Amino acid sequence: MKLGNLIISGIVTGSIYASFAACVALWYRVSNILNLAVGDFAMIGALGVDNLVSVHHWRVAPAIVVILAAVALSAYLYDRIVLRLAQDGRTRQEGIVVTFFFTFALSFFIEGIAEVLYGTNVHAAPALWNGHSLSLGGGLHVDRAGVLIVAFAAVVGLATSVAMRRTMQGKAIQACGENFFGARIVGIDNRRYRRLLFIASALLACVFGILESPITGYTYNSGAAISLTGFIAAAYAGFQRPGKAVVAGLGIGVLEALLGGYVSANYADTILYAILAAAVLARPSAMGLDVVPE
Amino acid sequence: MERGQLTASSNALTVSNLSVSYGRVAAVHDVSFKVAEGECVALVGPNGNGKSSIVMGIAGLVQRRGRVEIFGRVARAGDVAFMPRHGFTLVPERRQLYPQLSVADNVVLGCFSRTRSLRRAVTSAAHRQALELFPELADRMGQKAGTLSGGEQQMVAIARGLAADPRILAVDEPCLGLAEAVSRRVYEALARIHEAGRTLLIVEESPVRALQLATRQVEVRNGVVVRA
Amino acid sequence: MAAVTTTATRPGRRLAADRGPLLSTAFVLIAGLIIAGGAADSYLGSVVILALTYAIVTAGMAVQIGFSQQVVFSQSVFMGLGAYGVAVLNANEGWPSLLALVAITVASAGVAWVIGKAVSRASGLALAVATLMFPLIAFGYVSYANWLGGSIGMPLTGNLWPGGSSSTANGILTVVIVAVVVFATTRLVASDVGLEMYVLGVNEKTAQAMGVRTARRRLELFILGSVLATLGGAVYAGTQLFVPPTLVQATAELSLLIMLFVGGRRSVLGAVLGAVGIQYFTGISNTISVHILLIEGVLITVVLLIEPEGVAGIVSRLWRLAAARTPAIARLVGADPAMVPPPILDGDAGVGVSGELAAASEPETTAFRRHFAARRADTESSSETLLRCQSVSKEFGGLRVLRDVDIELPQRGIFGLCGPNGAGKSTLLNVVGGSLAPTSGAVALAGQDITALPAAERFGLGVSRTFQAVHLIRGRTVLDNVAVACLRSRGSSLLRGIVASRLSEARADAIEALEYLGLDDLAHHEVSSLTLETQRMVELARAMASRPTLLLLDEPASGLSTPQRGRLKDVMRSIGEVTCVLLVEHDLDLIAAIAERIYVLESGALVFTGTGEEFRSSGTVSSLLIEASPTTTSGGEQ
Repeated sequence: MKLGNLIISGIVTGSIYASFAACVALWYRVSNILNLAVGDFAMIGALGVDNLVSVHHWRVAPAIVVILAAVALSAYLYDRIVLRLAQDGRTRQEGIVVTFFFTFALSFFIEGIAEVLYGTNVHAAPALWNGHSLSLGGGLHVDRAGVLIVAFAAVVGLATSVAMRRTMQGKAIQACGENFFGARIVGIDNRRYRRLLFIASALLACVFGILESPITGYTYNSGAAISLTGFIAAAYAGFQRPGKAVVAGLGIGVLEALLGGYVSANYADTILYAILAAAVLARPSAMGLDVVPE
Repeated sequence: MERGQLTASSNALTVSNLSVSYGRVAAVHDVSFKVAEGECVALVGPNGNGKSSIVMGIAGLVQRRGRVEIFGRVARAGDVAFMPRHGFTLVPERRQLYPQLSVADNVVLGCFSRTRSLRRAVTSAAHRQALELFPELADRMGQKAGTLSGGEQQMVAIARGLAADPRILAVDEPCLGLAEAVSRRVYEALARIHEAGRTLLIVEESPVRALQLATRQVEVRNGVVVRA
Repeated sequence: MAAVTTTATRPGRRLAADRGPLLSTAFVLIAGLIIAGGAADSYLGSVVILALTYAIVTAGMAVQIGFSQQVVFSQSVFMGLGAYGVAVLNANEGWPSLLALVAITVASAGVAWVIGKAVSRASGLALAVATLMFPLIAFGYVSYANWLGGSIGMPLTGNLWPGGSSSTANGILTVVIVAVVVFATTRLVASDVGLEMYVLGVNEKTAQAMGVRTARRRLELFILGSVLATLGGAVYAGTQLFVPPTLVQATAELSLLIMLFVGGRRSVLGAVLGAVGIQYFTGISNTISVHILLIEGVLITVVLLIEPEGVAGIVSRLWRLAAARTPAIARLVGADPAMVPPPILDGDAGVGVSGELAAASEPETTAFRRHFAARRADTESSSETLLRCQSVSKEFGGLRVLRDVDIELPQRGIFGLCGPNGAGKSTLLNVVGGSLAPTSGAVALAGQDITALPAAERFGLGVSRTFQAVHLIRGRTVLDNVAVACLRSRGSSLLRGIVASRLSEARADAIEALEYLGLDDLAHHEVSSLTLETQRMVELARAMASRPTLLLLDEPASGLSTPQRGRLKDVMRSIGEVTCVLLVEHDLDLIAAIAERIYVLESGALVFTGTGEEFRSSGTVSSLLIEASPTTTSGGEQ
């Protein structure tokens, strides 16, 4: 029974990781940049909605709409100003530094803004589906927020994987990641895809933050850990297959829950990270990570 | 003249005062030439003299100055989709395929400028014809393009170019790095494309090979057209 | 061709190059002593001392992360090791802080060796991803570890300087440590080992082909960066007298990276100034320290966009401008006015060769020429086999790319390898070069079985190669690109690079190889400013510079025009007189004209072996490569 409940809560967190992993992998395919700020968009979603609702007494629906619009606009501006200068000029910056550090900086920036706007306390967006956790029989329980998360993750995951395989746009996205120049040859505007997917992944992250925060609560610096775990899950798929990234994300979520339940509540994360690091080092080539993108 | 507007010119492709430079280094200076519909023009000259930069400039893939007109329309700079949408497709030097995607996906992406519907792309006449031209690719369709040999990759690249249903097909160094037998096969395919009524612009280092097919040559030296 | 200058580097240049580390160190020492010695008791002084502890860490990062491009995120963990180590030894065991500092720094080398053994299995992104976990693991552990003070932190009882609570003594000691670190790291970067590390950072494959033991260098770099981080942490503990768990947090790691990037990631002095600058501004302004995340985020973005090399990049740009105008400045700072900054090229334009080959028959004025003259004499009548491939096969996932290939090559001459695309030519070259291991069969060089040797060690035995695509090291001069092949530092450790660099000897050898190919005039040009033809010639010079017995050339003529191929042919002919060349080429005329024996591969199997004449008239060859019709020679040189 304990095991069952741990697995359920693991699947819930795992769905978040999985979705973020898919976001990271998808955008990496287009831009060859790792989005390490994706968790910070989730944090902004949670804290922003909470702020509008509990401080400014807005209703939940308009608060969510406004926050989503603000995030989309910020993501758009970031692409237009920073990424355009970095990638679309005469000299296209490349290499491992670009892969990591632009979005690290963005992550810092968002956290800095959140710290100023929302302080350092724990906040959570209001639950969208109120009530006690649902009983699944046999002593198993699941949070209502958890149900929403898993459902949303499943819909998003399914939609993305179908789109990647079955649509021209999906194939065009893959082509962008495969060959920057080759994509432009057939008239694919990779800059547009980079922008659209960046905005889309920011919005998705934002929605997940709003859905998940009633369970765990967020602070201004919660985003980094989420991005990182999503990023690790994506790394397991070598940033190539969003589908594989989803599986890795779910696995990490369940592992984390089990470690917390059976090994040590205090050291669950620490052990998890140690296992992940060991896994990367065990077979670096298996993940396609041993090659720096050219 | 307003960009994108129709002019009275009857040429398929008119290039006027095209210049391309990379940073401070100029690769192409003030190049002008015309290609009439149905011609097969060879752009010849030693390597490193700016031939590739000319076709890339025409395709809008590098920053350019000057004017490019396609079937009477002035090309918009900075819009990568403009040339393929108006009938000019480039088969670039070194193929530039998507190595991890299947051969089928590589070819079908050639249709990107015409349609966003995968079904319509696959059933289109141009897509079918492109594949018919290279029967040797038929049992390779599910294979990753990166695992093909150089010659097969060149065929995929040409098929991808044809899938866009271009009126002018530009082919940049189609035989680079290919063995003699494969080069012949490539030229044979180009001849059939030309017979089918498409205009060809071929970039070749070796004039001997290009002249088997070309009706006219434009010679480039040091980024300047020396003979048109 | 003019008479040869045997001294590779002009005396002035050499002096200036040696002066760099001294100048940097003197600058750090004087500036540090003025501030720390004069104002140690003031608030400013304490801010600067704190900043200098970070500078010790970032100096190591500049070498490891910036210069050698081994991106790791484990510095804050080692800083924590140093700080907590000193705190524990001091507070619990009663050791003096200075002794604890020495002990923990030495011990950290062992820890870094163990971790580094595991970590340096990975490179590139995998290395970054794996080490990204380290701060999270360390912080997670430390914040619940009661014996380290848990989430509160750990106090010390004694200052770094044993004589009581003098901040001035603490400050002076810190400055001296920083100065020593700066001296050692700047010398390392300017040494022959430094050049190896630079190549390793740009392209690991090239580095291996040039004999660099990449795994070993990666491990050494990890240890260097980690030891310096530990030292920085130890000084932190000894001067701040308190160790908070936030020191090992991921945020702390990122702050260190930001100091590095803002200062200039490839420059030791830049990294030191970056640390001092950022710490200083954080220390003096409350607004800055409260909004540090926001400011750092903006700062690193702006730096990456405007000048990826940071403040150091901006300063060196200005220096170069000034040096170009006034030679006096150039002499002072040792800037190389001939080092042309790289314009972006696609091979369409650039600096080119004169086209003259210094004939191999010229007087034996250089050691390089004497070596090959001697080799020519030695091998004149020798019929000894140099390379023997015995039934070499290679499979990739069930696909047989090479089937039982037997090849025997003598001590000198040019031997061609052709075949249709995908026949296995490049695979065979890689198997001989050592970058691929054969599935079965044996490769022997001069009677010695080398089948199991990696590329780097085969290089040491006289196997040298070029690549299909040009693999030169951008951002370095032609001279340094060739000098990579002449390094004497291969077997020696990183410390040896700091103590006794033999880079100038390597450069002297490189000049001789360049002179042999008529390229010595271009020695001080940046490589990406050269034309494709010249780049290929420089690659050839680099391959020759190691004085190989076996030279593997992978399509050296691809992308070259007919007259350029003619010149290349002459060069290769003269090389073939002194060494054994295995040449993969698609240009059948070229290969038939210069190779004394030609091997043709098809689907991984050897289907033809014969002379150029037999090659031209062979039915197998023409059906395979030319398809049954008379030759369509282009250019038609015989």
